[in-house]
Amino acid sequence: MKRAALILLVASIAAWAADDAGFVIEHATIHPVTAPDIPDGSVLVKDGKIVAVGAHVNARGARRIDGKGLHVYPGMINSATDLGLSEIAAVRETNDTNELGEFDPQLQALVAVNPASEHIPVTRVNGVTSAITLPATETGPEMIAGQAALIHLDGWTWEQMDIQPDAAMEIIFPTLRAPRRPFFAAPGAPAPFRETQRAYDEKIRRLKDFFEQARRYETAKKGPEAGLERHLRYEAMIPVLDGKTPVLIVAQREREMKAALAFAREEKVKVILAGCQELGKLGPEIKTAGASVILGPTLAMPLEEDMPYDQAYALPNEFYKAGILFALGTFPGEVEHEARNLPYQASMAAAFGLPKDEALRAVTINAAKIWGVADKLGSIETGKVADLILTDGDPLETRTSVKKVFIAGREVDMTTRQTELYELYRKRP
Amino acid sequence: MTRLLMWFFAPALALAGVPSLIAIRGAHVVPVSGPDMAQATVVVRDGVIEAVGPNVAIPQGAWVIDGQGLTVYPGFVDALDDAGIPAARPAAPAGPPPGAGAAPAPPPARGPEDRPATESWLRAADLVRPDGPHVHELRSAGFTTAVSFPMQGIVAGQGAVIDLGGERAGDMVVDTPAAEYITTQTHGFGGYPGSLMGVIAYIRQLYLDAGYYKTVRTAYDQHQAGAPRPAYDRAIEGVLEPPRILLPAARLVEIDRMMRFGKELGRKTVLYGMAEGYRAGDLLKGANVGVLVNLKWPEAERDGDPNAYVTLRTLEVRRNAPSTAAVLQKAGVPFAFYSGGLTTRTALVRAMKRALDAGLSRAGAVRAMTIEPAAIYGVADRLGTIETGKIANLTVTDGDWFEEKTKVKFVLVDGKKYEPEPEMPPPAANGRGRAPEVAK
Repeated sequence: MKRAALILLVASIAAWAADDAGFVIEHATIHPVTAPDIPDGSVLVKDGKIVAVGAHVNARGARRIDGKGLHVYPGMINSATDLGLSEIAAVRETNDTNELGEFDPQLQALVAVNPASEHIPVTRVNGVTSAITLPATETGPEMIAGQAALIHLDGWTWEQMDIQPDAAMEIIFPTLRAPRRPFFAAPGAPAPFRETQRAYDEKIRRLKDFFEQARRYETAKKGPEAGLERHLRYEAMIPVLDGKTPVLIVAQREREMKAALAFAREEKVKVILAGCQELGKLGPEIKTAGASVILGPTLAMPLEEDMPYDQAYALPNEFYKAGILFALGTFPGEVEHEARNLPYQASMAAAFGLPKDEALRAVTINAAKIWGVADKLGSIETGKVADLILTDGDPLETRTSVKKVFIAGREVDMTTRQTELYELYRKRP
Repeated sequence: MTRLLMWFFAPALALAGVPSLIAIRGAHVVPVSGPDMAQATVVVRDGVIEAVGPNVAIPQGAWVIDGQGLTVYPGFVDALDDAGIPAARPAAPAGPPPGAGAAPAPPPARGPEDRPATESWLRAADLVRPDGPHVHELRSAGFTTAVSFPMQGIVAGQGAVIDLGGERAGDMVVDTPAAEYITTQTHGFGGYPGSLMGVIAYIRQLYLDAGYYKTVRTAYDQHQAGAPRPAYDRAIEGVLEPPRILLPAARLVEIDRMMRFGKELGRKTVLYGMAEGYRAGDLLKGANVGVLVNLKWPEAERDGDPNAYVTLRTLEVRRNAPSTAAVLQKAGVPFAFYSGGLTTRTALVRAMKRALDAGLSRAGAVRAMTIEPAAIYGVADRLGTIETGKIANLTVTDGDWFEEKTKVKFVLVDGKKYEPEPEMPPPAANGRGRAPEVAK
């Protein structure tokens, strides 16, 4: 184990060494996503940025990487994970999500990220170069879970992984569903709906009340009075109230989504709906609200036993047809350690109606737009961060293999826990 | 205090001289055993039907009730209920001394040997009380008889055919044990059995154990000296006694499963539930099982989420369940109705109307509340029809029982006349102390 770690370390250092004069990928098919494909093109990268893209690129002095027969895509963005926060779901000590308490806006997922997580290499060798990591992954008493971070899937420390520390404020919206009875409960009549309704109304009231408190704090802070006691909780809410940081509202069913939209409208905050599992009649309303949506996982069962078998597969196309901006995430909690399967989640949507290029956009440029980093990530354009993958085909195809991954211009090591184990047991006589 | 008062009044009631000889003259009689009689007389003596027919002479000294405009049915039987059994069981005599704190919870069951959720030895006959729950309500709705069971656990206990009248618990019991009541409730957190397959495996093991126990016990009783003594097992003693078992079967798959299971256990089987019985006509045809149809048709929860997603399967069962009775009747499968917790006549008549609207004949509906339950529980020689020699349980109405506007005028239970009480909302917790209304 120690030796393996040492090998990994040495390999990583080698990979870390930056190319001073940059590097160029030549004779590859370039898929910029935001522009037409370039059949025999080059991408020049210097200082972690894309310096030039095109059929002919002046790359004097740069290290040359032959891309003949290969394809260059922007690195994919997984818009919902718990990467770096959860290692083994069943081992409590390795989980750093789901803080207690109802209102924790001051929590930052970024600072809790474990850069040495085994899931990070496993995910990035599939072509995922950045991810949103969420402070909470399951519904509980929590309502404001904390700040979701957009991170690069490479770095020695969380500071190096940081792209956007406050990509969104995660809110787990109260649900109006009667609590599912714990399996150990004695048989008997379930709680009447009006009690569920009352508990729900109370939760919404407390949530709105918290926003109100935060708003008063902000006003007081701007005011002339001295000696305002500093509250990290309310402090963290200021960018949300100012409309700089969007709220990410986890709302699965139509009724909750509708309530979440109403809430965002009343509180005048920017909203991203996440984990939506149906669209229902909400298409126009979401569009009017200007809300964007994080969908996934698509590889899932229908919500109810008599819904069409492809309900989850076809959902992204429904949102696309409704003209709603959406991105895909793998959502921890639904399936564990699915972050690496993001491309296949996207391809399932493509197999069930979503145009193929839209499926790709949902894991690249559209995600970048939603997270406010479209100027940096999500496509192969001059001036953008060099998050690139070199593949032997369409990255959404399971048969495709990713040959090289570049994160911010650094070529990352393709060794993962899985390849280590593969090598280890291959040696067994 | 109530009990004290009852001690005072009990002799008074006895002295009131309830006539033991009653004649209902000139009523429309539905004997069930034969065609309806337009103008007939029913004579009842000492709790037994003495004579019935259009030309029956009224004996000397009979209390004559003018039956003009009245309809006389055999007393209706609720084929499965917990009527008369107080909800809170009497405390076990050997408890911890008072002040010792709460009794420690029994350790969770680990296997069939711990006899989880089993109280097969409980007898409804020992638990019922004339002022117990639902007795008055059911009687006011026109029921004179119920087959009452303890209902908690997997093997819940032994039912009894009870008459819904009498002054003492002992007066009520017509036949015991009627059957063993079995459910497939899982046992909850941490205890065995926690799954459906576990429950079924447990019941199977219990009945296998019972067979073995019987053999060993018989052998031991013949040669007690020198032989190893088999352990006494009250759970098995309990399942050996009743002549038949009641198994839950709501969905088609459960009906099929439980038919086979009953056969495998080698017990006379009665299936109860039948929400999806409308699909089971062919399956049940000629099958040698008793069938009890729950009159409380599946419906949306009253307090449920109004916007909750309801699956097509659920909607289908909700819509079609009331047609079960008609389907069974058409297939020639005898069946009995049970109230399923409905207690008011209004609720029962409305539930019945849905079965009638689905094609069940009124005669078939009457049979399912009279002779069929009596036949299923083996008391057809004493209950279920208006014939000479049968127990004098009669339901007397001012019209067709199935019409909502009809009123139950009175019932005779063991020859005693009871008048209906007005329908009331469910009584408060302490509202069950009313003395039975005895005819003056």
